[in-house]
Amino acid sequence: MSDSIPTGKLARSGIAGGALLKAGGRQLGHAAKRPFLSEPARREQQLQLDDDTARILFQAFSRLRGTALKIAQMLSMESNLVPEWFRREMSKSYHQVPPLGRPLIRKLILQEFGKPPEALFARFEAEAFAAASLGQVHAASGQGGEALAVKLQYPGIGVTIDNDLQLLRTLIRPTRYAKLLLSSIDEIELRLHEEVDYHREADNTEWFRNQLQLPGVEIPAVHRDYSSKRVLSTERLPGLHLEAWLDTRPAQQARDRFGQQLYDIFVHSFYGLHALHADPNPGNYLFADDGNLGLVDFGCVRRYSADFVELIPRLLRAYKERDAVKVISTYQRLGMVAEMEEDELQRFYDEVLQPFGDWLTKPFRAGRFNFANQGFSYTAEGWASFRQLAKVRKINSLANEFIYFDRTFFGLYQLFERMGACIDMEHQWLV
Amino acid sequence: MKVSKQEKALTRKRILRAAGDVISEKGYKTASMREIARRAEVGDATIYNYFPTKESLLYGYCEEKQRAVAEALKQIEDFHEYSLREQLQQLTETELALWLPDRAFLTQVFGLTFSAPVAGAVNLAGTRRLFTRMVEDMIDAAIEAGEIPEQPYRELLAPLYWDYFTGILAFWLHDDSEGFANTTQLVDRSVEIIAMVLQTAMIGKALDLLSFLFRSQISRHLEKLGEYTGPWKKAKRRFMEGGDV
Ligand SMILES: Nc1ncnc2c1ncn2[C@@H]1O[C@H](COP(=O)(O)OP(=O)(O)OP(=O)(O)O)[C@@H](O)[C@H]1O
Repeated sequence: MSDSIPTGKLARSGIAGGALLKAGGRQLGHAAKRPFLSEPARREQQLQLDDDTARILFQAFSRLRGTALKIAQMLSMESNLVPEWFRREMSKSYHQVPPLGRPLIRKLILQEFGKPPEALFARFEAEAFAAASLGQVHAASGQGGEALAVKLQYPGIGVTIDNDLQLLRTLIRPTRYAKLLLSSIDEIELRLHEEVDYHREADNTEWFRNQLQLPGVEIPAVHRDYSSKRVLSTERLPGLHLEAWLDTRPAQQARDRFGQQLYDIFVHSFYGLHALHADPNPGNYLFADDGNLGLVDFGCVRRYSADFVELIPRLLRAYKERDAVKVISTYQRLGMVAEMEEDELQRFYDEVLQPFGDWLTKPFRAGRFNFANQGFSYTAEGWASFRQLAKVRKINSLANEFIYFDRTFFGLYQLFERMGACIDMEHQWLV
Repeated sequence: MKVSKQEKALTRKRILRAAGDVISEKGYKTASMREIARRAEVGDATIYNYFPTKESLLYGYCEEKQRAVAEALKQIEDFHEYSLREQLQQLTETELALWLPDRAFLTQVFGLTFSAPVAGAVNLAGTRRLFTRMVEDMIDAAIEAGEIPEQPYRELLAPLYWDYFTGILAFWLHDDSEGFANTTQLVDRSVEIIAMVLQTAMIGKALDLLSFLFRSQISRHLEKLGEYTGPWKKAKRRFMEGGDV
């Protein structure tokens, strides 16, 4: 298959490797050493994949099933390093993944449970109602009449992962950044192999269901009798995805309430449980009529060290107080090492960190922050700062946890903007 | 002593089962009619009444398998609601599932059949006929229901599918991926292409076929190649309604 993909072109541009590497390395918590670059002009260029490269990659990825798309997502989701259309196409094709037909559904259920779907379930809908990244989700009823959401994994996905990653490695090998990229591919491989075991996801779901008890937040119960390594049956929750819910033109009050719930979930998970449930991907939330928020997809739960959980509010406070020394020392304690002289560091703080911090703490300083778009976008404003940060080559190592945390935060803010919600940002940990 | 028809059928099945076991264990060359008879608990002479040669046992076994496959498909309650693509895939998957315990046996069949292609083709003719009858039935039902258009060379399709299927079997016999996942995916992807070819009645343009496969594979996600999964005009009739294989 790799024959038909113009690797030469990819290799020539070289940019794909670099841009993806950064995204991939960060996303995956891979503490990559960044190469030094001399001319600033070249840096700027390297932050964007050129259209041609993106197109080639897109074609390559879209020809494969779930895993490749998943990989591409993991690599690109993180940042604005890839062109906007690429991300759009990617998320579209993600849902165009050819559905699992009845023969394979039958085969899978037979394999996992020793009986066909019609015998296992009281009722099973052959048509999936939602797409998952490595499979699809069907509505079904258990023998006791309980409403289930049954996530089915594409048969042989493990082999697909291996094949797809092999293909990706072939694509990457001739690029300039082969060495670094290949090591993030190794990380991806590990993560993917973890994600294909639904037992893990079942455990995570139950753990969160027990631990995260917030009013109005629903986490589905796992039905073990109908679950296996490749099949995950959970209690079917009502509710719409974000976009569909917004289409119903919900009242401001509902927007604020759901937004607040999302924020509270985040705060409570992070500070209380030292874990975040998943990417702030709109597909992971269900907005129900009765005002309840459904939380699904516990496939990639991130856990945080106590140290990190303690340092984050310290950092936010330091930013709020514009305390340069405290900001830098907290970053250092978070594991970031910058090879800079004193005056350079001061300049870095003044030019990059402080504007970033001002942006970051703006909602906190306001106490209650209105994310509704009022002629400006708070997150768009932040991109500039983020990009400034991303350009700094002299930060030699990044705290793994930091990157993902940042992204979650940012993703959450984007959701709030999309919802036009007004959020109460004040929490005791910030005081 | 009079033997009823039903008893005869049972004995036949028992002999075939024994043949399957012995040939799988010992290999075709070493397996003897005598041992098969003993395993089937029939007399040395009786076995020849049913199967005059060892070869006829081998191929009789393959034919029996086709009947079992047809039976298994009939057992799927909503099979007639499957799309043609799903039916063809189910046929292929069911074949693989039922051949699974006899993989060693099948390897023997392949070795013998394809080492002497002409004789092999003759011997497999019965199996092939049973198989193609199932495929024809599916295609006919799909045309009747308006799921796919009338096909220019309809009589060519089932034999082509047979050729494809023997290719899949050969691939499967060499597949060492976990749970034969590579075969599953090959079937999944190729059946999709086949369904698309049927959908567009492409097979008539035999010369274009290869390039079509190639192009459709590439552009599948980039251009819509026409709706081919939508509901068809009327309900499909049940599988093999007209009788048994
Ligand atoms: N319990 C449930 N109730 C209602 N809908 C559900 C439920 N579980 C999943 N869904 C639907 O299925 C979609 C996909 O599920 P999920 O998010 O778990 O898959 P995924 O994230 O793609 O899988 P992965 O674990 O590989 O990341 C959800 O967006 C949601 O619409």
